[in-house]
Amino acid sequence: MQTYDYAIVGNSAAAINACDAIRGLDREGSLAVFAEEKRRCYSRPLISYLVMGDIGEKGMYYRPSGYYRRWGIDFYPGTAVRKVDAERRLLETSKGERFKWRKLLLATGFRPFTPPVEGLEEARYLTFVSWDDARAMIRLTSRPLRALVMGAGLIGMKAAEALHSRGCRVAVVEKMDRVLPLALDETASEMVAARCREAGMEILTGKSVSRVTAGGGYKGRAVLDDGAEVDFDLLVVAVGVRPRTELAEEAGLECRGGIVVDEHQRTSRPGVFAAGDAALAFDLVRGEAAVNALWPVAALQGKYAGLNMAGREVPYPGGNSMNAVEFFGLPVLSAGIVNPPDDSYEVIVRRGENGDYRKAVVRGDLLVGMLVAGKIERAGILTSLIQERANVRRIKNFLLEEGFGHIHFPRSLREERIVEAVAGLTRADRERGRG
Amino acid sequence: MKRRLGLEAEKGGWELKRIIPREEYCIGCRLCEIHCIVQHSKSRDIIKAFKRERRPLKRVEVEERGHVSFALQCRHCDEAPCITACLSGAMHRDAMSGAVVHDPERCVGCWTCVLVCPYGAVRPDGAEKKVVGKCDLCPDLEVPACVANCPNEALVLVEE
Repeated sequence: MQTYDYAIVGNSAAAINACDAIRGLDREGSLAVFAEEKRRCYSRPLISYLVMGDIGEKGMYYRPSGYYRRWGIDFYPGTAVRKVDAERRLLETSKGERFKWRKLLLATGFRPFTPPVEGLEEARYLTFVSWDDARAMIRLTSRPLRALVMGAGLIGMKAAEALHSRGCRVAVVEKMDRVLPLALDETASEMVAARCREAGMEILTGKSVSRVTAGGGYKGRAVLDDGAEVDFDLLVVAVGVRPRTELAEEAGLECRGGIVVDEHQRTSRPGVFAAGDAALAFDLVRGEAAVNALWPVAALQGKYAGLNMAGREVPYPGGNSMNAVEFFGLPVLSAGIVNPPDDSYEVIVRRGENGDYRKAVVRGDLLVGMLVAGKIERAGILTSLIQERANVRRIKNFLLEEGFGHIHFPRSLREERIVEAVAGLTRADRERGRG
Repeated sequence: MKRRLGLEAEKGGWELKRIIPREEYCIGCRLCEIHCIVQHSKSRDIIKAFKRERRPLKRVEVEERGHVSFALQCRHCDEAPCITACLSGAMHRDAMSGAVVHDPERCVGCWTCVLVCPYGAVRPDGAEKKVVGKCDLCPDLEVPACVANCPNEALVLVEE
């Protein structure tokens, strides 16, 4: 039986960044990537760009074509891992092959959540999380349709935008009272919804689908909780995602709505690591573990899992809920807490000309959240202050000013950041190391 | 553009140039911005770049407040948040130079790098295709344009 020094279950952001990190430290160790899908690693968040024709199929790939060969990675496409034995350090694939491993990374990602809606099981519908979903959407919308999207989260809104670009008449139903309720605040949600409505989309918030009646093919009718009926030719279900933890649970790893990991991305079993959308990792804004099912967060976790697997013990600096979106020409960036739960938070808001909107959420001396809509230049400075947990007491009044930047920092901090040319994440590492 | 993909964790093997601002010498004249624009223009001619062609994005920006000013561009971070966060793989470390470089062909303009750059040094390009732009250390020049054209040596080049 073949033994791999490193075996990775999964082939997306966390997995590939783990590979990069491992190969940066260890060129020799044997490394295998087991991918459920037949494709080499592609960028899941780009599927809407593919449907909209902004990129071609070649633009979907996250790494160049020779990536696995170039870095000595045994790539197993179309090979799901069915079973993991954490005790004897074995894994078994869907093809019945068995491998031994010394270090294992579970980067099993998420699965779309299927809501308990009457009639949904009998209906044909699309999810919008994979390249196959994008292809299906392109195929089904070769002529314009009436499309209904359930859920106005990031995936639902991207699906709606993609369908709209294909000439479909799109309605979005969202249970919460606004679109993108987690990523955005009320004002920004309204700004996005207004753009979508202007473009001709129907945005139905504060409503949910209570029943679906299949009508042949992908056609059907949805009945909303207020009794309204919506006929559709295509239904997209996007009401959230759930971490895929089955493999981890069966292997006896501790899971609590996500695979539990320590600050080195280690699970409860020796030699087994987890990263990405399946992992319950440290959120430095909330100060506790959370699942942030977002590409950049998964990539960062994968990177730290890889470094630790290859023997460089560095703590994951922690992620936060970061979102960059653009709908109909309106870009919106957000990070950390944008909807403060109580009045222990101070909220600073600034509205520019041209309808630009900026918001900072401060708690004590820390910036814990930010949101910018319209003019997005230099917003990363705010994100880095959140990520570094920097004391912003002396610069609080400037945070949202036009031209806010290092000029507003105390000179020592400015020089440390600029001249030492050290990234925010590294600094956060050092501080956590010291702390 | 052929990508020479460097691994993020892999350090050394390159001599990375870094541009260091010296605020005690900066007078805020913004010649760095002007020469950056010229160098990244189609013609590399100052008159054409400003008066006839689509004016490229300035990749260096002077921050100024009272008597203090300095020019800032991409730091080419050792641990570059923009590379890890990039959705498409467009942002990467050049295996030869160690610089953090950006492939506009692969960029989709998702703005994730804008969201995470601690220096505000990656910005939307404003071109027809939605892409970002950033300092590329002027690969065709021995000394980057902003450094070479600073009258006060308020920008200096350090090779590691």
